[in-house]
Amino acid sequence: MTSIGTGYDLSVSTYSPDGRVFQVEYAQKAVDNSGTAIGLRVKDGVVLAVEKIKHSRLLVPQSNRRIMTAGKHIGVASAGWMSDTRHLVKRARDEAHNYHSVYKADIPAKIIAERMGMYVQAYTLYSSVRPFGVSTILACVDKDGPQLYMVEPSGQFVGYRGCAAGKGKQVAKTEIEKLKLEELTVREAVKEAARIIYAAHDEAKDKLFELELSWVCAESGMLHAHVPQDVLADAIQHAERSLDEDDDDEMEDEDL
Amino acid sequence: MAPLKPGEANLGTTIMAVQFDGGVVVGADSRTSTGTYVANRVTDKLTKVHERVYCCRSGSAADTQAIADIVSYHLDLYTAQHGEPPTVSVAASLFQEICYQNRDSLSAAIIVAGWDEQNGGSVYEVPIGGSLHKGEFAIGGSGSTYIYGYCDKTFRPGMSKDECVEFVKNAVSLAMTRDGSSGGVIRLAVITREGVERMVVFGDNLPPQYLG
Amino acid sequence: MAPPAEPSTGFKFDNVKRNQLLGDKGYGQPTATKTGTTIVGIIYKDGVILGADTRATAGPIVADKNCEKIHYLAPNMYCCGAGTAADTEFTTKMFSSQLALHSLSTGREARVVTAMTMLKQFLFKYQGHIGAALVLGGYDVTGPHLFTIHPHGSTDKLPFVTMGSGSLAAMSVFESRWHEGLSREDGLELVKDAIEAGIFNDLGSGSNVDACVITKGNVEYIRGFSRPNERAVKEQSYRFAQGTTEFIVPTATAQGEEAAAMDVSA
Repeated sequence: MTSIGTGYDLSVSTYSPDGRVFQVEYAQKAVDNSGTAIGLRVKDGVVLAVEKIKHSRLLVPQSNRRIMTAGKHIGVASAGWMSDTRHLVKRARDEAHNYHSVYKADIPAKIIAERMGMYVQAYTLYSSVRPFGVSTILACVDKDGPQLYMVEPSGQFVGYRGCAAGKGKQVAKTEIEKLKLEELTVREAVKEAARIIYAAHDEAKDKLFELELSWVCAESGMLHAHVPQDVLADAIQHAERSLDEDDDDEMEDEDL
Repeated sequence: MAPLKPGEANLGTTIMAVQFDGGVVVGADSRTSTGTYVANRVTDKLTKVHERVYCCRSGSAADTQAIADIVSYHLDLYTAQHGEPPTVSVAASLFQEICYQNRDSLSAAIIVAGWDEQNGGSVYEVPIGGSLHKGEFAIGGSGSTYIYGYCDKTFRPGMSKDECVEFVKNAVSLAMTRDGSSGGVIRLAVITREGVERMVVFGDNLPPQYLG
Repeated sequence: MAPPAEPSTGFKFDNVKRNQLLGDKGYGQPTATKTGTTIVGIIYKDGVILGADTRATAGPIVADKNCEKIHYLAPNMYCCGAGTAADTEFTTKMFSSQLALHSLSTGREARVVTAMTMLKQFLFKYQGHIGAALVLGGYDVTGPHLFTIHPHGSTDKLPFVTMGSGSLAAMSVFESRWHEGLSREDGLELVKDAIEAGIFNDLGSGSNVDACVITKGNVEYIRGFSRPNERAVKEQSYRFAQGTTEFIVPTATAQGEEAAAMDVSA
């Protein structure tokens, strides 16, 4: 960024001469520093997975969740600042509740994505506020089937078949693109998601991490829920095994 | 609930709606009165709030017209935001919300009926006070008290479209002749996937009944 | 201690107490001035005809024998008013201004439904406290339109309408003689007869008939279309001969000792 230090990055209400809003780009940087979060939309549901980086061995396993529930049928995985995430999840819950009280129907994915997008975008307009340092991945099954959206710090919201955010997003996206998402079941997708998170994990930088996995599918009663312990354990086993195989492959390559 | 104010136009009314496989039939008399004077003898109390959702209005003419206008606006907004038409349930929920929030200043009892892709034909009732009831058929207005027995006896689930039209004609006609606040012509609408078909039955063409 | 100073601005609610007292003593609450009125409108072959009587009353007194009850709303729209005189006057004035601004901003002639919707939403907001009962007629791109608007904000769309205390008399004329496709002459005659039915049979209505014929691109406002109550020429002179009444120069005598005759003739 050539314009750094020229004063155009001090406020979200100032454009740089080449038409950028640096504060929003910095918020995106905050997301890029975070552990990887991915979402997979498959034929019978949606799967969310997050690489929760642990800064201490003393943290209780499966505490400080990074995947949360915004409405009975809506899951939220995020990359970025957790405090901002909690604020956005509260907003998402309020939106879902408000929609239901007016229309007596569950909020469709695209509507909650739109409303979250509008809310996040409002924080890119005023000098008195800071944009949200999170990318939010929304997973939901509504009357049109499984849905996956991602809301970024700019307020942009896009629907995806598969998406990724955080420090491992390049690796994750490459892996996701190889999948045949339309043919996968959630059971298969859970394993793939675990494998991708493990693949995207950088052992050199972050030693400790915990995999979080959730889904919205028939098995969870079309509600958002973290996957059961046995499913999680299977997925982790699958992920570790395929990592080892990759390592073996690489070694074989080297042998050749 | 607010009683009718002096001089307020009143839809002392007979309204009803019946569900059948693939749609609904709605019907109403056509009398609007101010006190003892008939202010409009050919009123249309079947008001469109969306392509395939109608409401039958009873109570204060001013209140029900205002509510229907507001709901109609919200349903247009819904269609623009969702990119698809609302369900009858969504429309009924909006009526209920408005009627409940303003229950102290409104006198309105409304039947919401229509067709949507998800549920086919459906009938909802929002009585004074702003509660919401789903049913296979609904009757309302001052004239309805005269035909509860007839309707309970006559209605069968699974009636055909034509049977429903006859049922509505007969019931509204019976109510109109016994209720002083109901009268004029019978207005009908059949709402299905194909669209809305409007009908009118004039006074000289009412179904046969004992007239003394 | 000095009494609290009287505020120089803001509302005063003294009359609330007074009205309450009057009510409690059985005198009844003071009421706003309402005009007994006959106003009508019909659709005819080429457009709309509006009609009104011209009597304004204040209680039992005829306040104005030749007032105007057909108000201008827009170049293609007029509106008859019944009910509280001030309310009909100012409501129509306000919306003629609103409609002029609307036409300016859209660059089109305002539609009659637009005026109707604005009026009904305004009256509904005031829950009947603005006592304006209106007959709205006009001709726009979608053709001729005729509406009644009640003070509580309900509206009716009909081919022939009447309002005001004389509406029953006027409606009986319409119900027996209105039909589709009336000519201008027959329409005006029917409107005249309907208003006259109000003038003659309703105590609140009287004096003359005003009419307003609205067609595509043209308005004809006929003030005093019929004058059925002209004062007749007197058969003879009722002037008294000069000196009929004796003129006495008055004198006043003050009582008491200093009494002196006071000359008042100067």
